[in-house]
Amino acid sequence: MVATLAACGGGGSGGGATGSGSSFILGTTETVTAMDPAGSYDFGSWNMQYNIFQQLVNIPPGGTTPQGDAAKSCSYQDPKTLTCHLQPGLTFSNGDKLTSSDVKFSLERNIAINDPNGSAVLLGSITDSSNPDNPTLAAGAIETPDPTTVVFHLNRPDTTFIKVLTTATASIVDEQVFPADKLLPDNKVIGSGPYELSQYKAGEQAVLTANTKYQGAHKPKTDRIFVQYFNDPAPLKQAVASGQVDIAWRTLSPTDLNSLESDSNVNVIRGKGSEFRYWVFDLKTQVGKQLAIRQAVAQLIDRQAIAQKAYDGTVQPSYSIVPPGFAGQKDSFKTKYGSPSVAKAKALLDKAHIQTPITIKLGYTPTHYGPNAVDEANELARELNNSGLFKASVGDAEWEQYQTLYKQGAYDLFILGWYPDFLDADNYLTPFLRDGGFYANGYNNPKVNSLLDQELGSTDPQQREQIFGQIQDIVAQDVPLVPSWNGQNVAVAGKDMTGIAQTLDPTYIFRFWMIGKKG
Amino acid sequence: MLKTLLAPFRNTSGLARWILVAGLLITAVFLVFAIFAPWVAPYGFNQVSANGHPFPKMAPPSADHWLGTNDQFYDILSRVIWGARTEIVVVALSVALAVLVGVPLGLMSGFVGGWTDRTLVLLMDALYAFPSLLLAIVFAFLLQGPLGGGIVAAALALTAIYIPQYFRVVRSTTVSAREATYVEAARAIGARNGTIMGRYLFGNVIQSVPVIGTLNAADAISTLAALGFLGLGIQPTQAAEWGYDLSRALDDAAAGIWWTALWPGLAIVLLVTGLTLVGEGLNETVNPTLRKRRLRKVVMPTREPSTALARGEVEV
Amino acid sequence: MSAGSGSLPRYIGQRVLLVIPMILILVTLVFLLLRVAPGDPVTAAVGGKLDPQAIALRRHQLGLDQPLYVQYFEYLKNVVTFNFGHTISDNRPIIDVIRDNGGATLTLTLGAFIFALAIGIPLGLIAGRMRDTVPDVVIRIFGVVTYAAPIFWTGLLLVILVAPSGWPTYDIASPETKFLVHPITHVLLLDCILQGNIPATLDVLQHHLLPCLTLGLLLCGVFIRLVRVNLLQSLQGDYVEAARARGVPEKFVIRRHAFRNALVPVITVIGLQVALTMAGAVLTEKTFNWPGVGNQLVTYLDARDYNAVQGLVTFFAVVVIIVSVLVDIVNAMIDPRVRY
Repeated sequence: MVATLAACGGGGSGGGATGSGSSFILGTTETVTAMDPAGSYDFGSWNMQYNIFQQLVNIPPGGTTPQGDAAKSCSYQDPKTLTCHLQPGLTFSNGDKLTSSDVKFSLERNIAINDPNGSAVLLGSITDSSNPDNPTLAAGAIETPDPTTVVFHLNRPDTTFIKVLTTATASIVDEQVFPADKLLPDNKVIGSGPYELSQYKAGEQAVLTANTKYQGAHKPKTDRIFVQYFNDPAPLKQAVASGQVDIAWRTLSPTDLNSLESDSNVNVIRGKGSEFRYWVFDLKTQVGKQLAIRQAVAQLIDRQAIAQKAYDGTVQPSYSIVPPGFAGQKDSFKTKYGSPSVAKAKALLDKAHIQTPITIKLGYTPTHYGPNAVDEANELARELNNSGLFKASVGDAEWEQYQTLYKQGAYDLFILGWYPDFLDADNYLTPFLRDGGFYANGYNNPKVNSLLDQELGSTDPQQREQIFGQIQDIVAQDVPLVPSWNGQNVAVAGKDMTGIAQTLDPTYIFRFWMIGKKG
Repeated sequence: MLKTLLAPFRNTSGLARWILVAGLLITAVFLVFAIFAPWVAPYGFNQVSANGHPFPKMAPPSADHWLGTNDQFYDILSRVIWGARTEIVVVALSVALAVLVGVPLGLMSGFVGGWTDRTLVLLMDALYAFPSLLLAIVFAFLLQGPLGGGIVAAALALTAIYIPQYFRVVRSTTVSAREATYVEAARAIGARNGTIMGRYLFGNVIQSVPVIGTLNAADAISTLAALGFLGLGIQPTQAAEWGYDLSRALDDAAAGIWWTALWPGLAIVLLVTGLTLVGEGLNETVNPTLRKRRLRKVVMPTREPSTALARGEVEV
Repeated sequence: MSAGSGSLPRYIGQRVLLVIPMILILVTLVFLLLRVAPGDPVTAAVGGKLDPQAIALRRHQLGLDQPLYVQYFEYLKNVVTFNFGHTISDNRPIIDVIRDNGGATLTLTLGAFIFALAIGIPLGLIAGRMRDTVPDVVIRIFGVVTYAAPIFWTGLLLVILVAPSGWPTYDIASPETKFLVHPITHVLLLDCILQGNIPATLDVLQHHLLPCLTLGLLLCGVFIRLVRVNLLQSLQGDYVEAARARGVPEKFVIRRHAFRNALVPVITVIGLQVALTMAGAVLTEKTFNWPGVGNQLVTYLDARDYNAVQGLVTFFAVVVIIVSVLVDIVNAMIDPRVRY
């Protein structure tokens, strides 16, 4: 299969790592859809790609502003033109040169393959989708005047495009190795990142080995990394508690985390996250279409209680549609509603002459958002019922059916979750608010739509932040959805592991090169 | 009637009888729980506060909560008692439906013969050959959509996997009884097919049903728990279900919180054990070759082909 | 099935021919059930992420918007040519999934049978021999309770007991072993032995202990019951009576005649337990994160990956049916009465 398996045969110590050098084992439930950047749109795959491939730009640990990676720099000439200059002398792990032509090839094939599991949808600003069945790279969208220069001509003002270039979907692949029209088998991928893939057994494990050709800034601290995949958090928890894996990263249950917290053999390390859980109003139902009812719910919800009772305090209460840490974020819901208050909610309803108690149907899905979603739904229902203003009932459906049901108006208020594609406040606004959002809840505010256009067309950070603030305030007023909580980026590791705290940031990139094992 | 009911007791002796009695007792206790749940259980199955006092989370057993509370604030004793109701309703529903479909189908198939018979046998064999849990998983997926994660969906998913068992047993009994003298006699006096099936064959065939029924009931509880473990069972807001509670509690045990996993697990083990013991007890009385004869060598019954047992037609 | 009589080859021929429609029925059933069930691979993966148009486009690319019969015949074509196609959710050839993960399921089940027989046969013999005494009752209740305990519960108890000792509690081997051992037969244990890698072999065997024991406990009840009942029956058999009449001591009667006869049906039952074992294997594999086919099946079911589920279910069906045919044939050889 892979040539590096040569060390096999009799005599080798089955328990010890191969050859010399350091190694550690990471356990995760985030499995890989495809190692090929054109075939994936999920955590597990993207994370491997961040370590195997380079992108033009990347997000530094804990930061939000893109900095150079394969590119020395990327900058906008105007909201529709972005120019990048590559570092000189880049090579792939097989020795092939990395040039601007590889960059163009990588994005072009991603769009052309348009894999059903892929993320070409993020590249809309350079895609010609006049034939929706067969999208292509828009003519002239990428110019490569010389081997180290790439110029992007966007088909619309899009100042988030540079953030798209930081995602794994924009990973640079070797045009000598990757086919232009189909995916490369997982175990054959070649990149220019700090690690190369030495072995991949789907659903079982991946082995990464430091890429000796890599000359960039992310010098690996560990020579070999074993990534073990788990189907269920329970055995993962056992494995990390007993030291069979060095690090458990994504996703342990709140109960597990709390019990590991008191385990003296491991550290529970928490970083900021960007996961977002929220309750959406269906504005097409009798209940959902009444502004005063929506506002009353926003007034009643006790986020602190939800975080404590349903999640054992492993999540942060959220008071805005945009998570903390993003440029332009403000806690609009906190400003507008303050702490939970039955009296204020009653006043809101009385003012609109709405008879109480109001019958309201809440919806959740039992497995897709983890086993605690039901606890959150129950807690919210309890809070509403205890106010005496509502008669809340809770309905559920498997994820598949749930998606149909909430679009059909089966629930007045239903729970959904979100992970950002890239770290930009816009990624929490456009997908949710424009024309009812991807969940089609019937919310439509022309003012919001035009503000969204403005921020996308602006390269001035201050102006964008100011617009983000305005939009968040409108959302707190209109309440098309109620923010519930923000997740953390949590890892559990043996005491001898180093460098983990730095990589746990809202990008959810686990930067393997930063991680070391003492002794 | 009473005589038939008591037959198992008269036909057994010593410890074998005690096993049957123990099984019946365990089952009876759970039946009482199931029927009188609202009166026996201290709280409702999804109640999280009493008299304005919210329940603690994962509290150890105490005077207020005899078996403690779990991570959803539920009182475990109440969940176990209400769970008995859920299990028994689901199991009774699924076994009853399976009998209602499987028995007539097997009777008809065995009696009519020909192409209908061959097709049905093939279909049922295919279903029977398939690992029942996998079949239940697929059915549960299918039914959870339209019916939600409730009792009816779970019962129907289980029904689908038990129909072939009744069909097989009833059909094979029918086939052998079809040629029996009393059926020949009935035919000779001009009884119609419907009458023969209904009056003569049915009574003969139905005897094996209670045995399979109890054994299926035991199996159904395990399967229901497995569905709960895989997240395909009954949702906690709809009813209390041991498998679901157990699967949520699995993590707690390693953290030293033993009471959340112990009681629902014990309930499953006890009820399945009880039902199996009843099934085995019944089997020993229905299957005379297993009975211990007090007087040896008076009769020499022909040995049943060992394969009939091995095929799992009686023994499951 | 009632037609035909006599010769063994003819019986075998009939049984083998019947396998084809049986498998066809199963795959058709699974195909239909999956299509009727709500949702599809696209909504399962990105339903909470993309707008309705983008979802429709992805469905179209996968051919999920084609009429059912078109998809069905496409699928049948794949089955007939033994090319099960690729999984939708992670683009693996399904034949690879079966090859790479089948080995783990195979060794898990074989190990479980070894435990089940090693526990079940002696206990069954003791129980039968000491009928209606305290040991008999204890053993029978043990058999029932191990069968009654949910597999994930038993597994968890064992893990909690064993974990502090540092014994491996999940997966089929340590990462190093998996990395070092070439896949030759794709059965990891066999590969380790073939390559003469003793530490790796030991490592793999260690990993087998807990899962095999857990599944073995579930199965052993069946064998306890079977051996016990058969011993009771054969103790009443004519030839046993005859031996007794000849004055053969009771000890020899039991050892020479009854035991042997009580064990013959065990062979057939092993085959018939395959279906139960497969179901148990799914739960065991999930509990121990075992890289077997059952674990994959659950994952792919979650992802609504039609292709994968159909392929794997077909695989399970074929295995179970082939084993049951083999059992029938063995049975027919032993006992001519079976050939009706």
